[in-house]
Amino acid sequence: MIKTLLSTLALSIMLISAASAQSLTVGVQNLPPWLDPGKDFGNNGSQIYYNTFDPLILKDYSQPGAVFKPGLATAWESLSPTEFQVTLREGVKFQNGDLMTADDVVFSFERILQDMTPEYAGIHRQFFDNFASVEKIDEETIKFTTKKPEPLFEILLNTSEASIVPKAYIAGLSGDTDAIEPSDFDAFMLKPVGTGPYAISSFQPGENLVWTRFDGYWGDKAALEEVTLRRIPELATRVTALANGEVDFITNVPPDQLATIAGNPALKVVGNVTPLFHIIFFNTRNPSMANPKLRQALSMGIDRNLLNEALWGNEAKVPNTHSYAQYGELNDTESQTFEYNPEKARELLAEAGYDGSTIRFDTDPVYYTNGLLAAQAIQEMWAEICVKAEINVTTKWTGPDADMQVRNWSNPMYFADPAGSFGTMWSPKGSGTEMAWTPNEAYPGLWDKFRYSTDIAVRKEAYGEIMAYVKEEMPFVVLYQPYESYGMRQSVTWAPQPGHIPYVLDFRAGSVTVE
Amino acid sequence: MTELSASLAPTLATGRRGKPSLVATLWSRANLFTRVNLGVFALILIMAALAHWIAPFDPDAQKLLARLKPPMGFAGANTTNILGTDQLGRDLLSRTLYGLQLTMAIALIGSLISLVLGVTLGVVAGYARGWFGGLIMAVVDIQLAVPFTLIALVVIAVFGNSLPVLIITIGLAGWEVYARIVRAQVLATARMPFVEAAVAAGAKHDRILVKHILPNIVTPIIVVWTMTFSALILAESSLSFLGLGVQPPTATLGSMVGLGRDYLASSPWIALVPAIAIMFVSLQVLLIGDWLRDALDIRLK
Repeated sequence: MIKTLLSTLALSIMLISAASAQSLTVGVQNLPPWLDPGKDFGNNGSQIYYNTFDPLILKDYSQPGAVFKPGLATAWESLSPTEFQVTLREGVKFQNGDLMTADDVVFSFERILQDMTPEYAGIHRQFFDNFASVEKIDEETIKFTTKKPEPLFEILLNTSEASIVPKAYIAGLSGDTDAIEPSDFDAFMLKPVGTGPYAISSFQPGENLVWTRFDGYWGDKAALEEVTLRRIPELATRVTALANGEVDFITNVPPDQLATIAGNPALKVVGNVTPLFHIIFFNTRNPSMANPKLRQALSMGIDRNLLNEALWGNEAKVPNTHSYAQYGELNDTESQTFEYNPEKARELLAEAGYDGSTIRFDTDPVYYTNGLLAAQAIQEMWAEICVKAEINVTTKWTGPDADMQVRNWSNPMYFADPAGSFGTMWSPKGSGTEMAWTPNEAYPGLWDKFRYSTDIAVRKEAYGEIMAYVKEEMPFVVLYQPYESYGMRQSVTWAPQPGHIPYVLDFRAGSVTVE
Repeated sequence: MTELSASLAPTLATGRRGKPSLVATLWSRANLFTRVNLGVFALILIMAALAHWIAPFDPDAQKLLARLKPPMGFAGANTTNILGTDQLGRDLLSRTLYGLQLTMAIALIGSLISLVLGVTLGVVAGYARGWFGGLIMAVVDIQLAVPFTLIALVVIAVFGNSLPVLIITIGLAGWEVYARIVRAQVLATARMPFVEAAVAAGAKHDRILVKHILPNIVTPIIVVWTMTFSALILAESSLSFLGLGVQPPTATLGSMVGLGRDYLASSPWIALVPAIAIMFVSLQVLLIGDWLRDALDIRLK
């Protein structure tokens, strides 16, 4: 009898551990209030989309370079400098069971190119401004046409924003089930469906999300049966939840906590320098911040290397300008856009006629790792050059506010080209430019020269000129590329893949194992 | 008649010689423990008030390369930072002194606001009675039914996050306790023969209130004040802990605990030092309040 009981117990323990090996619970610092890859370029959404959605073109994410792989398209070719044709994969299913068609692909782009909501219009301007039309040639063939020659076709079709969504499903979500209405997109944000290996089976906006393996996935089956994301904004609570086994994995661990986690034999940490800049930006349209000399002075007052040494244990990366090593040949290693020079800063302040008035520095309490600490450190550094700043801790996004003066932000690398980071934020139609900067009339011409030239040398030279203009105007200051770490149980094998945009929680086949 | 005069005579004589002050009477009734407690509390108040002169460092001055240094006596400590440094290399002793000052100031001003508001409304409710008195007591009941943190969240959401807003919010935290107790006391006192005598003698309402009723309800007010004062220290600490109080880098004890909680596992002193200060001060105020209640209670004499 006891033997039977014991063996039953042993069997059930084995079954339970087998079942738990197939699932993972993740404590995330942030979860977005809604999900739609075509509307979103925020760091919160970036965590999510890759597991649930596919773009037409995928790439080898295990390396930083751009080695593209077939995604929902099996082949692609340039018909002319402004025409690009893709052949669709057959038999791809959405997670709701619908078969993916050419109409879905056309619709996925049209909702952005036709500005069906203000968010799509934003992505249109910041990512697909050059796209003129998307046409269905036949059931397997789609043709993209651009206004100007497009050197970045593959890169753009690889972005998460270019993910394919199901047209018929979206149309059926509200009102007239055959027509696309704005309310359909609102409903889709809460019940998103894609073609990726994990279906979102439950989503409580900003609270939690459950991924379930999608057995009809066209590629390799998902590595895990189920993944649960739980939002735990408090760092101490997140670390505790990991230590007591409530979660198996946590995000956004600052360097100060690494030793605590690594000191627990059941846990480990992995991290990387993230392809993202923490920046601060100025509202150049606010009269108090309108003088470029004041902005240059504030930039020169920040000792970024000291921030790196003190807050990041020298693990972060302090760049000279707005450029990533991932750009390859286009990486700008020559420009010295940002430098620490307090003496020069004081001179510039005198020239700018700074009257000692207080400058408000807005920051979220938790959004950016070390964000509040860096804000307070910068406040002190500015006090050294006799600039009075006050910290305004707020969960409100004050970026577009007229009374905003300075705030922290991030500029992620959405794709490995200056257009994919500086461009989405600070090109003439970039998101930061729209919020807070009015460049001169020559700037759009300079930008187009960089953006649409097919000659690398011309592009590189033009980008150098753009950085020189940024140095003069100083609409923002790049602080560093943060070193982001993840804490996890020893039984989890996972690491951020260098080919991804920042914060992607890649749990696809081959990217994660749980013993 | 003669007998009565004779028995009253010594008392009256003492009264003429100068009644011993309330403070002196209380001190004479305090035992050693209470005297030590009062002395230490006075010392803490003086230290908080003199933070500007006795703090070894500017509380907001950072030494970024000397972050997270433990208090003296632990491995890796800085000799100049007795209680260690925080996440930005600021001196914890200096921050605690300044934080104590601000926390005490907020609790003091907040408690005076609630005292004035609560006593005024309580006196009106107890003396005037009628529908207006009923309305005041209804508001008291409503406030007692709504959690304070909720009220604070709403006030701060509407009026923003600043020191005056925090002080007023704290002031709104305790008035209802005064109003209740003062109303009950006024109701009881107003029926006393000496008040009726004053009414019969034709005294006006203001004279009756100020000369006859208020002096007789001072004791419970003092006791309530000390009992709520420690609650206000904790209220300030809770709000600042939640990030609803003053903005960084300004230190209050609560905000220091709040911003230090991320470091509980790795550098616990950042949160522990101000947390112990909060505990110590509020415990002291509670003990003093407890003693005052007994010392001033006529039934325990």
